[in-house]
Amino acid sequence: MKKYLVYVLTFMTVVVLGLAFNAAAEEGITDTEIHIGQWGPQTGPAAPWGAVARGTDAYFKMINEEGGIHGRKLVHHYFDDGYNPAKTMGGVKQLQEDIGMFAWVSGVGTAPGLAVKDYLMDRKIPWIGPSAGSRHWIEPPNKYLFNTYPLYLGDAQLLCKYAVETLGFKNIAIAYQNDDYGKQGLEGAQKQLAKSGLKLVAEIPVNVADVDMKPHIMKFRNSEAEAVLLFVGPGHVARLQGTGKAMQFEPQWMTSTTCGDIPLMMAITKGGYAGTILASFGMMDPTAVGIGNIEDVNASTHPVLKKYHEEAFKKFAAKEERWGLTFAAGMGYVEPMIEALKNCGRDLTREKLVAEMEKIKDFQGIMGKVSFAPFKANDPSCRIGQTTVFLAQATADAKAKVLTDWVKTEYIPMGK
Amino acid sequence: MVDFLQMVLSGIAVGSSYALMGLGMVLIYKASEVPNFVQGEMALLPVFIAFMLLSTYNIPYYIAFPATLIFAFILGCFLEFAILRRAKEPNILGLIIITIGMEMMLLGFVSWKFGADQRAMPFPISTYDSIIIGDVFISSLDLLTLVVALVIMLTLFLFFRFSRMGVAMKATQMNENAAALMGIKTKQIRMVTWGISAVVGCVAGLLAAPVLVEPYMMWGPMLKGFAGAVVGGMTSLPGAVFGAYIVGIVEHLFGGYISIEFKSVVAFAIIVIVLCIKPSGLFARHYVKKV
Amino acid sequence: MDRKRDYYEDVQIFTSGTIVFWSGVLILLLSIFPFIAKNYYVYVANFMAINVIVVVGLNILVGYTGQISMGHAGFFAIGAYGTIALMTHAHFPFLLALPCAGLVAALLGFLLGLPALRLEGPYLAIATLGFGITATQIIGKIKMFGERQGLHAPDLTIGSWHIETDKDFYFILIPITFFLVLVARNIIKTKVGRAFISIRDADIAASTMGVNLTLYKTLAFAVSAFYAGVGGGLYAFVLRFIEPELFSMFMSVMFLTMVVVGGLGSIMGSVAGACLLGFLDLQLRNILEIPYVGDWIRALSESYFTLTGVSNIQLIVFGLILIIIMLFEPLGIFGIWIRFKKYWMTWPF
Repeated sequence: MKKYLVYVLTFMTVVVLGLAFNAAAEEGITDTEIHIGQWGPQTGPAAPWGAVARGTDAYFKMINEEGGIHGRKLVHHYFDDGYNPAKTMGGVKQLQEDIGMFAWVSGVGTAPGLAVKDYLMDRKIPWIGPSAGSRHWIEPPNKYLFNTYPLYLGDAQLLCKYAVETLGFKNIAIAYQNDDYGKQGLEGAQKQLAKSGLKLVAEIPVNVADVDMKPHIMKFRNSEAEAVLLFVGPGHVARLQGTGKAMQFEPQWMTSTTCGDIPLMMAITKGGYAGTILASFGMMDPTAVGIGNIEDVNASTHPVLKKYHEEAFKKFAAKEERWGLTFAAGMGYVEPMIEALKNCGRDLTREKLVAEMEKIKDFQGIMGKVSFAPFKANDPSCRIGQTTVFLAQATADAKAKVLTDWVKTEYIPMGK
Repeated sequence: MVDFLQMVLSGIAVGSSYALMGLGMVLIYKASEVPNFVQGEMALLPVFIAFMLLSTYNIPYYIAFPATLIFAFILGCFLEFAILRRAKEPNILGLIIITIGMEMMLLGFVSWKFGADQRAMPFPISTYDSIIIGDVFISSLDLLTLVVALVIMLTLFLFFRFSRMGVAMKATQMNENAAALMGIKTKQIRMVTWGISAVVGCVAGLLAAPVLVEPYMMWGPMLKGFAGAVVGGMTSLPGAVFGAYIVGIVEHLFGGYISIEFKSVVAFAIIVIVLCIKPSGLFARHYVKKV
Repeated sequence: MDRKRDYYEDVQIFTSGTIVFWSGVLILLLSIFPFIAKNYYVYVANFMAINVIVVVGLNILVGYTGQISMGHAGFFAIGAYGTIALMTHAHFPFLLALPCAGLVAALLGFLLGLPALRLEGPYLAIATLGFGITATQIIGKIKMFGERQGLHAPDLTIGSWHIETDKDFYFILIPITFFLVLVARNIIKTKVGRAFISIRDADIAASTMGVNLTLYKTLAFAVSAFYAGVGGGLYAFVLRFIEPELFSMFMSVMFLTMVVVGGLGSIMGSVAGACLLGFLDLQLRNILEIPYVGDWIRALSESYFTLTGVSNIQLIVFGLILIIIMLFEPLGIFGIWIRFKKYWMTWPF
């Protein structure tokens, strides 16, 4: 028994001490390095979004291989927060105070982001491209926070507009995830339909933990919805579409940008996703592809995306990593920052980065056009970044048929 | 009226998978007197193994599924033998924490081995087919789940009634010391009980997998199964099944008529109400404590 | 060696000079800690202190009264939201809002205690678990609480002291923690505490001795809910942002785990359990940064597992630690300590 005791105590001591003293002391920016931080869930129920951080990581490695930025390499520190704001806060504090980040990029989720927003903004640390289309990032606008993800509000507007004006539907319903993301989709849809004098025929909340979708489908069926907007996660899209099909309820499904990974969606719905109309923020250029034409997302013709696939994904991603929307989005969110860093030149400061970010006009990488403007305290549009989205439709062979060109969406201020 | 029938039928369908999880929990509760929080993950790992066999190695169903069930049995036995049995002078809370620890380890292992991406498991019958009776739908998968659940319940009933092993298990659960004196290897019996419970849970997992495979897929069914088992009385197998169906049906009626948002918590409200009236559940005999 | 010979020996705060000495050292260390440690570790310490408050309170219910609760995240959430709501809407000062929110939680604890009178074991576990889930669902529907979009904590000022940094808050939090732990220790040594223990050991015998089961069982719920509520109120200001999903079932399970791993029926065990598991919960993500160990895990992942899921090693290590402690000693860390002490005192025999 005493032997066990010694083993247990030694084991615990090693773990505890090992965790306590592993911090290195470095500067946020040196002659050869730029330290960039990022959080993202690698564990827990939100772990599928962890690919964002890994995408950014591969992208930075690619840039370093190309010679870095004005002689400096990007050092990417990303950590797992398990989508738990308390852990996000802990990790951000540790990296910021122990190592010192020059800037923060992306970061999955509204709640973790909101938890650390004030901390970063109070310290005037730039934070670029939060990985969630929430209105909270730009209302009120912050000088150091640059949004690049098109707002969920915009997705919902465009989808509703298309359903009403092009497809001629009158009965539109929505399934929304019971959180900030879903609520903003709901609001966008309500506002857009009100313009045509319509109302959502059913507004059904989906809790993140819900598994059984039969009651939801019954409500939709009773509302005689012709189109159903899905502002839920990919798993719930699969469950809703599967249950719908089994109950012979097959409206025009429409999903937000969050569920726009067509190959993934086709795989998990076993083909049920075909025909779904999805809002998308990038990974192909609808202008180049042309309306009505079909693009294979896996063998993209987008020149920049093709390069990232070859140079970043194939070289630096783990062997079991999937080349998909989430991974690529991790690159897309930070492209404007890389552009600004390049424009900053050798003499790099945070203020200069902000100034260069503000100069970005109609920059286009693998997402839509991104523009910022000099900071105005009461004008969210100076930090909104990308305001355009386009619609595509999933085909039966997991490709995307382009339905619209980039469409500029209107910003709906909070509480109006 | 059609709506009402549809809700009840859907409730029964979803209740079947709760019932399987509940049965697994009751089996273990009777053997080891611990609410088994690892029940869901005992099903999760085999499901991922099945997924791997089917999609990576392209092994046909008739080999892959039995192999998975055998794996589940071994996993259940292993957890009891290697971990739970080693607990010294255990109290019930200590055992609960051990099952939570095992749960974390298995969940971590699965996510580590297979990653977090959602997947769909190939399955012999399509998840999109359904059978229509009048105006009421039931999907083929739900029907299959219902049939399988009934078959398993019947098998368990016959097993406990007529097989030597089953009777020995019942004896062990009733009075362990007396059973041991009668020459029953009670430790072995307990281990096998865990194995059987894992198999029952695994069946529920395999029937949930065609819709979606992801590391957190068994949490919901496990909790609802636990809830059902508690409504039924935690020590009664028919009670667990009955309780699970009640939970399923009430959930659907509540979701249909009152609030979808609170559908998933209504199960717990039922529990509190049922337990206030019958503190040991509907089916278990109330054990009167004496000093 | 730990036998008590008379009543006063049982109720005294410090049982020996050694304890007085080490308590002094502890207080000294705690007061200089924020000046020598990095700010991040002060944040971690604040977290651990909050866990200590909740877990000590939960131990009164679980360890001393023998009831299970898997829904304390619900009380925690009520405390957090209640404190913020009282401060922003009723303009209470923080030090008044905090106990008031705690009292609201205590009231709900009392109400939850009523059905719990008839329940025990797994029945009580699932009923309380249901309470925890339902509480956060309901909070997510209340407009004043920001619904699902979360709530930011207001600025914190006590008198003329404007509290901004983790270090400032540390000096509020640690005295409160000390005070509450001491109160818990003393509750156990009063008539009420002895009633709790008697209920745990044999409730029917206790009731024949004149212990009012209804009163004391609900009281135990109320007291532990008060602790959780106060902990929640403080948590809201450590994190400064709260939303319903934070107070998940996982959090309740975590609190219960801390109680059991620390040691049932031991206040000091609870402190240790809350500190250890709270620390691991925040820090295990750095396991891959440990030299050699991290590289080894990465290499292992590359050959046999997935590199994308390597962070899940945290869960495995956490689970393993729980299992090892519980297998080794059913009384958790407190049990290990007792064993260690005995070994030390009787050495070399």
